[in-house]
Amino acid sequence: MLHLARVFSSPFSLLLIFSHCVLNPRNFSPIAVSAVMAMDPVRVLVTGAAGQIGYALVPMVARGAMLGPDQPVILHMLDIPPAAEALEGVKMELIDAAFPLLKGVVATTDVVAACTGVNVAVMVGGFPRKEGMERKDVMSKNVSIYKSQASALEKHAAANCKVLVVANPANTNALILKEFAPSIPEKNITCLTRLDHNRALGQISERLKVHVSDVRNVIIWGNHSSTQYPDVSHATVKTQGGEKPARELVANVEWLQGEFIQTVQQRGAAIIKARKLSSALSAASSACDHIRDWVLGTPEGTWVSMGVYSDGSYNVPAGLIYSFPVTCRDGEWSIVQGLTIDEFSRKKLDATAEELTEEKALAYSCLS
Amino acid sequence: MAKEAVRVLVTGAAGQIGYALVPMIARGVMLGPEQPVVLHMLDIPPAAEALNGVKMELVDAAFPLLRGILATIDVVEACTGVNIAVMVGGFPRKEGMERKDVMSKNVSIYKAQAAALEKHAAPNCKVLIVANPANTNALILKEFAPSIPTRNISCLTRLDHNRALGQIAERLNVHVSDVKNVIIWGNHSSTQYPDVNHASILTKDGEKPVRGLIADDKWLNSEFITTVQQRGAAIIKARKLSSALSAASAACDHIHDWVLGTRQGTWVSMGVYSDGSYGVPAGLIYSFPVTCEKGEWSIVQGLKIDEFSRTKLDATANELAEEKSLAYSCL
Repeated sequence: MLHLARVFSSPFSLLLIFSHCVLNPRNFSPIAVSAVMAMDPVRVLVTGAAGQIGYALVPMVARGAMLGPDQPVILHMLDIPPAAEALEGVKMELIDAAFPLLKGVVATTDVVAACTGVNVAVMVGGFPRKEGMERKDVMSKNVSIYKSQASALEKHAAANCKVLVVANPANTNALILKEFAPSIPEKNITCLTRLDHNRALGQISERLKVHVSDVRNVIIWGNHSSTQYPDVSHATVKTQGGEKPARELVANVEWLQGEFIQTVQQRGAAIIKARKLSSALSAASSACDHIRDWVLGTPEGTWVSMGVYSDGSYNVPAGLIYSFPVTCRDGEWSIVQGLTIDEFSRKKLDATAEELTEEKALAYSCLS
Repeated sequence: MAKEAVRVLVTGAAGQIGYALVPMIARGVMLGPEQPVVLHMLDIPPAAEALNGVKMELVDAAFPLLRGILATIDVVEACTGVNIAVMVGGFPRKEGMERKDVMSKNVSIYKAQAAALEKHAAPNCKVLIVANPANTNALILKEFAPSIPTRNISCLTRLDHNRALGQIAERLNVHVSDVKNVIIWGNHSSTQYPDVNHASILTKDGEKPVRGLIADDKWLNSEFITTVQQRGAAIIKARKLSSALSAASAACDHIHDWVLGTRQGTWVSMGVYSDGSYGVPAGLIYSFPVTCEKGEWSIVQGLKIDEFSRTKLDATANELAEEKSLAYSCL
């Protein structure tokens, strides 16, 4: 609990408390007192909240999967006007679920109201690719969205707001957001590759027939796209004889460098084929994992994958949002340094960096 | 993980409620953050591919508590060794269908599933029926699974109970966790009776009766009741889909409190086999106020029932008696 206070404290913490009282849409009656209110609520924004991922995500947030079982939350849900009624329906269901940790719900189509005072922002809303659309068209639409949301977040979010971009193209949307919200510290802007990371853990655990919680330290490098590089060079599996390298236990380089990589890269498409809808459950769950580990810290000896602003580590060009292995402590992520990168991996790291550089150029061309 | 995994069956798992429910179970919402689970998911053959997609997503989410997943269209396999069964699958009412048609289809389903559960579930399996008509489906299941203890068969009215808490909390502008002891009596249908006569709010001066604080009997005896009764329809109107999120969450609450116990001084609502308490005919699955301890529920006794409430309790009992006849006539 102290941990969270450190994470969210800032010179503006007093302002935050006042803004909480003034802007809280439910000014609590003086007759009421809450039995379990040791901690101030954290405001969590979910954009695109009326959609599939939002519907899976908000009950997870309300139950404490994102910030822990003792952390009260206030949900801010934003969507576009055509989805206003559906969004209201989601708000009604959140009330109907009587979640003890959920101390307020704001459901709005107004981006300013949505962003006001938020400590965590999960950007799920975006323009989906439709049949017949070119990559440039999708990019163009999303660049506009993320430019304007950047502006609103920068002006109205709480200080030190942590941002997670989920909507695709996630890395580039995050980059656009960063460019147009210069007063948001760049370390606070990330994109989701935890889904791919978790998928990689799952594939290794299935291959080895072990519990997924016994596998750790896979890495997702690069873009949340089909050029991502799921790397098990440094992954380990807990066995009765201690931690063993996953590579050794799998003992099949061809599989690890071929089918395994493709399976993880293309998993999204496989889910769509089976469900006729894209992954909502697993995306929402991974978004919770991403924020939770960021805020509450990664376990000892374990790293996770996050799309973060590159500082040039591992010869990845600086100035891209690129997925790296990170550990988290005191609310901050740090890239795990010093991992050896073999030749096979080097090519993969570079290929996905190139794609991100192209996307960046494409995005900027949409702006001019 | 020191504890042995508990096997939880979800039928209709490829549908909306199932999709909301399975990640909650896998995260420990249903049985607690230290209890490993193995999920059994059942659906019908047309949904087999979608069901496999759900299994894939559960694998992809890398849930630490989820120790295994079975996704199947085979009811025997699905029921084998399960400790908890959440029956979400059922035949939905479609446009043009008569009540008798819906009842008839569901009676067949619940008769078949009763047989499979009885033969293959673990001893002392706890059953929660969610699919509508929930109370009557539960009664059919009970009739055709005679070796499952009657006390282990329940239906979901926790959703209505939570909705009632939510409405009171909104009315009084308090936290929902400060409201307790509403009661949902009767059928999970529009004749349910949401009763606040024994409900209370935690204030800085201690527990106070809801009726006194709201000070609006007219609202409590009419709009409040109809809002809770018709909330399902209101959600459908807004979302164009029925409540999945809140139903799944309530199902977790129902099982959680049943298995792990209700808090001191707090009761919840569960559809359970009536023993004649409160003048409710025995032999119906009827929602009562219950406390839970050591994995067993007990009806809260001795609550005063005023005249207004008496009429409501009886009306919903009558509807359940009619449903029971209708169900039997389909057999």
